[in-house]
Amino acid sequence: MPQNADNILDHNELFNQPEYLALREAKRVFEDARPVAEVKNIEDWTKSWEYREMNFKREALTVNPAKACQPLGAVLCAAGFEGTLPYGHGSQGCIAYFRSHFNRHFKEPSSCVSDSMTEDAAVFGGLNNMVDGLANAYNLYKPKMIAVSTTCMAEVIGDDLDSFIKTAKTKGSIPEDFSVPFAHTPSFVGSHVTGYDNMMKGVLTHFWEGQERKEGAGINVMGGFDGYCVGNNREIKRMLGLMGVEYTLLSDPSDVFDTPANGEFQMFNGGTKLDDVKAALNAKATVSLQGYSTDKSCDYAAAKGQEVVKLHCPIGITATDKFLMEVSRITGKAIPAELELERGRLVDALADSQAYLHGKKFAVYGDPDMVYGLTAFLLEIGAEPTHLLCSSAPKGWEETMQALLDSSPFGKEAKLYPGKDLWHMRSLLATEPADFVFGNTHGKQLEQDTGVPLIRVGFPIFDRHHHHRYPIWGYQGSLNVLVKVLDKIFDELDRNSINGVSFEFVR
Amino acid sequence: MSSLRQIAFYGKGGIGKSTTSQNTLAALAEMGQKILIVGCDPKADSTRLILHAKAQDTVLSLAAEAGSVEDLEIEDVLKYGYRDIRCTESGGPEPGVGCAGRGVITAINFLEENGAYDGMDYVSYDVLGDVVCGGFAMPIRENKAQEIYIVMSGEMMAMYAANNISKGILKYANAGGVRLGGLVCNERQTDKELELAEALAKKLNTQLIHFVPRDNVVQHAELRRMTVLEYAPDSKQAEEYRQLARKIHANAGKGTIPTPITMDELEELLLEFGVMEQVDESIIGKAAA
Amino acid sequence: MSSDIVAQNKALIEEVLAVYPEKAAKKRAKHLNVYEEGKPDCGVKSNIKSLPGVMTIRGCAYAGAKGVVWGPIKDMVHVSHGPVGCGQYSWGTRRNYAGGKNGVDSWVGMQITSDFQEKDIVFGGDKKLDKMLDEINTLFPLSRGISIMSECPIGLIGDDIEAVAKKKGKECGKTIVPVRCEGFRGVSQSLGHHIANDMVRDWVLDKGKATHETGPYDVAIIGDYNIGGDAWSSRILLEEMGLRVVAQWSGDGTLAEMEKTPKVKLNLLHCYRSMNYISRHMEEKYGIPWVEYNFFGPSKIAASLREIASHFDDTIKEGAERVIAKYQPMVDAVIAKFKPRLDKKTVMLYVGGLRPRHTIGAYEDLGMEVVGVGYEFAHNDDYQRTAKDIKEGTLIYDDVSGFELEKFAEKIQPDLVGSGIKEKYIFQKMGIPFRQMHSWDYSGPYHGYDGFAIFARDMDMAINSPVWKMTKAPWNK
Repeated sequence: MPQNADNILDHNELFNQPEYLALREAKRVFEDARPVAEVKNIEDWTKSWEYREMNFKREALTVNPAKACQPLGAVLCAAGFEGTLPYGHGSQGCIAYFRSHFNRHFKEPSSCVSDSMTEDAAVFGGLNNMVDGLANAYNLYKPKMIAVSTTCMAEVIGDDLDSFIKTAKTKGSIPEDFSVPFAHTPSFVGSHVTGYDNMMKGVLTHFWEGQERKEGAGINVMGGFDGYCVGNNREIKRMLGLMGVEYTLLSDPSDVFDTPANGEFQMFNGGTKLDDVKAALNAKATVSLQGYSTDKSCDYAAAKGQEVVKLHCPIGITATDKFLMEVSRITGKAIPAELELERGRLVDALADSQAYLHGKKFAVYGDPDMVYGLTAFLLEIGAEPTHLLCSSAPKGWEETMQALLDSSPFGKEAKLYPGKDLWHMRSLLATEPADFVFGNTHGKQLEQDTGVPLIRVGFPIFDRHHHHRYPIWGYQGSLNVLVKVLDKIFDELDRNSINGVSFEFVR
Repeated sequence: MSSLRQIAFYGKGGIGKSTTSQNTLAALAEMGQKILIVGCDPKADSTRLILHAKAQDTVLSLAAEAGSVEDLEIEDVLKYGYRDIRCTESGGPEPGVGCAGRGVITAINFLEENGAYDGMDYVSYDVLGDVVCGGFAMPIRENKAQEIYIVMSGEMMAMYAANNISKGILKYANAGGVRLGGLVCNERQTDKELELAEALAKKLNTQLIHFVPRDNVVQHAELRRMTVLEYAPDSKQAEEYRQLARKIHANAGKGTIPTPITMDELEELLLEFGVMEQVDESIIGKAAA
Repeated sequence: MSSDIVAQNKALIEEVLAVYPEKAAKKRAKHLNVYEEGKPDCGVKSNIKSLPGVMTIRGCAYAGAKGVVWGPIKDMVHVSHGPVGCGQYSWGTRRNYAGGKNGVDSWVGMQITSDFQEKDIVFGGDKKLDKMLDEINTLFPLSRGISIMSECPIGLIGDDIEAVAKKKGKECGKTIVPVRCEGFRGVSQSLGHHIANDMVRDWVLDKGKATHETGPYDVAIIGDYNIGGDAWSSRILLEEMGLRVVAQWSGDGTLAEMEKTPKVKLNLLHCYRSMNYISRHMEEKYGIPWVEYNFFGPSKIAASLREIASHFDDTIKEGAERVIAKYQPMVDAVIAKFKPRLDKKTVMLYVGGLRPRHTIGAYEDLGMEVVGVGYEFAHNDDYQRTAKDIKEGTLIYDDVSGFELEKFAEKIQPDLVGSGIKEKYIFQKMGIPFRQMHSWDYSGPYHGYDGFAIFARDMDMAINSPVWKMTKAPWNK
């Protein structure tokens, strides 16, 4: 009997005990399990070039995509505004999924309501659900704003948020002057990145439309869909603070996804002040740190007369330089000595470690801006990006990425895979291995199947704690990414030399 | 942009909705108006008489080929016809599969985002049948059509449909700005048709904006895939459409919030005008002897 | 004393309801109650639509059908048919352990989807599905079958997935199961369980494929999803007492096991809520009796082993006694170690359709007291079963909203809350120890004697963690 009160074994060890190994082996008879040799044969075949070619020919099937659906992004965007309750118009199951997705990533509460449309609403439309849902949410949770997005059910039946919200107000669900920005977020178009953009545009439209713009000195900053928003936003604010720039960070969930355990649950915490969102119309310019994730919102800001600068995850020296220089150019504020010092320290760190980075091959997958940002960083440290995959690649991504790769001799070997998934990536890594792969938690299966070590940078990160608390943008953030990479490189060096002569104290 | 008039023609299938709308819009074009027609019917025949051909390249068929609407260019789906009327068709699935309503939403969003409406005086939506789902209600949402014209006739089903469409308009009228511009009656030569149409208009709190008489020249023009305005510009029928066009042009801002009636009221109306016969209650549910 | 609690809790319910708009308060009042001893059920309405906008904790039919019932069948490919999200969010998060090589002869850890695009909605998705099934058969040749789990749009655009399933099933000779579990159907996961059960009935059992040799002690485990290995730590006991476990439904299960089940002698039903349907069907059609059992905590385990054995001869009855005796010393040691640390501690539970009642015995074995019970998707028969296990004054909350549960816990101040991931961090912020009771908080198994030791350890670890003493800064005390 394996279990005993003094040394209680849970699943991690329990099922490796002989009793359980025997149990599972004996069960195979009832399973009509395939012979071990047959499974091994097929497994080897799935890692072959032949399989890779078949795998890349599929047209209808998606396996392990690295993307989620629109309303997830809308919920994250909405959560970044002061006192805002995200609200999903449509099926309730979707909202349960969004919440648990963020719970597992941030290890934090995630508040969002649904108006629980069911079969009758599928037939008659969801107006009544909206009328009751807004009233209940408003009374129970006392938000300052409710931001409505849609699940695909409501999109297929064609519910009209604009008129529904107006009707709900007429019927007294919520006060006339209560802010309810909205965004149609069909899950069969784009990805979570698109949904983030749509909600951002919805919020801006709500506060800006019909208002007169008087250009001021400040700038707007948009972070886009960012799993590191807790760490990144604080870092961005710190840098802008050092520069003395007047700014509004549009959608800032850094506090709501990082509340203290102090005996009190705060459903709302921090976020961009609604008055600031209103005033943001007057900004001189909008700087987006993830241009693909805020594409239409940027266009909207531009249409209102603002200058727009689109970046793609400022990771590394060059990208952070560009961010600071753009901000400096727009605002006329100098880049302070503190930031220059940090820059120098990052260059120093890169110099210390460059020998371990140079020529290392990295596969990368993730959101369009993230793949860009990580690739740019790799080129900068003399590493070689190989397979660059983006399940949610928007139009134009491939061309922009190619231009980036063409700008460096280290980008020559890289190939781009827009619209592909992680089962494609498995074939790529099995046939043409990289030294490391950048990706989210889902990539751990790639590591298990192909032996290519996973460096966790992406969303979601479910199986490691607190990564989101540390920035990956700016000089400090880049240092964090660098350390993640180096730790993995050194762990691999040690692991591979543990029985050899190269197992050394000093690296 | 502020002067853009967005109108929509709704009506029961087969009522002559597309014919009426295209002839009227051709007349508006004659008056110097710049016009965009957005066909919202999977049959894609809302622009046939203007283009002299069935629109082959609908927004959705092209999007299906290209992968998604984002891969489309606006030039691919905008065609120019009689008097430079801009024509586009949403297209949609075969009957019985997919979701035509969602197709309408997709197509209109695409057109709007890509500047199809720029520089136009009129956008006209030609919408299939009843407001059967949210997709077909798309053109009556806010910031879309402000005036709806219902094409009907003195037949029972056409009137039934007209009443249903009014219900759809009412649903959106309070929250947004959509109004019922009026009924257009296509003569079917049923008994007391004009009176009936006027009576229905009154009940629905609207006007019978025009009674279009029946004339074979319409069929002759259709055979040639032309509007009457182009085929026989001097005909009496062409003049009828010009009248209707002038009335619509003068009707800006005069739409009303409709007051749809119940089925019982509608039946009463039909009984009154003899379109429907009084049911003999004594024979209901009796099998043949 | 206990009547005080009844009155107190009733007042608490009133206080919570006062915040709702009138219409909603009236509806919610029917789902909240205080248990009074001797009543045949908990006095709440259940399995009713959630109110819009209240932050229900419930999921949908897809979650019940794909996430719970079908998803764990390891040698089939489960297609999330529709847009990408549903499959993405339910990918590898339910901890239904299963053996096999991922993507080679097991697909439990995979997110396989038709990733619907706008054109699939507008023109219908049947052609894509048809092609996709071919691609699955090409790329995953060892799969025994495919289930098609419908997401919301499928039922709205009129796709005929049954016709596609039939056609492709004939072509490839594999079991292809269309499941109409669109998320807007029903009011919670529960209808998804039911639909999934019915599809097993129609597309697997009715085909009657099994040809294996049967034995006198053949049983099937029904309604155990092998969370953290639960079914294994249950199976080991059943086998030790002499039974032959032919099938596990559906944790670590296979198509072949399901096919063999209509020939067993007795079906052992753990999760009544999610699999009573198929158990009743097998009783009616094949004359297989079924027995509910409870493998949480030694008291209930021993009672269940004896109850199961009572359906067999003395060999098995003796086997049950032997198993109980074998584990008793370990269990005694576990209780001796943890009971002193957990005695009189109070627990509020809010879980799916079974565990709020099924775990009460395990808590009581450790000296703990369950003071609040509620279900996400239980029906009236679950609340009737619950009434047998709870005490006077227990607070009952059906389909609780985020707001209600927080208010209840704030007032009652239990020593532990057991619920799901969406609740976990809320209560930890409040300084209330918490265990996830869907996923065992990445621990487990909790079933069986081996599982009970882990359960006891985990409850102790949660309640007696030093971290809870630090939530207030000392200078503010």
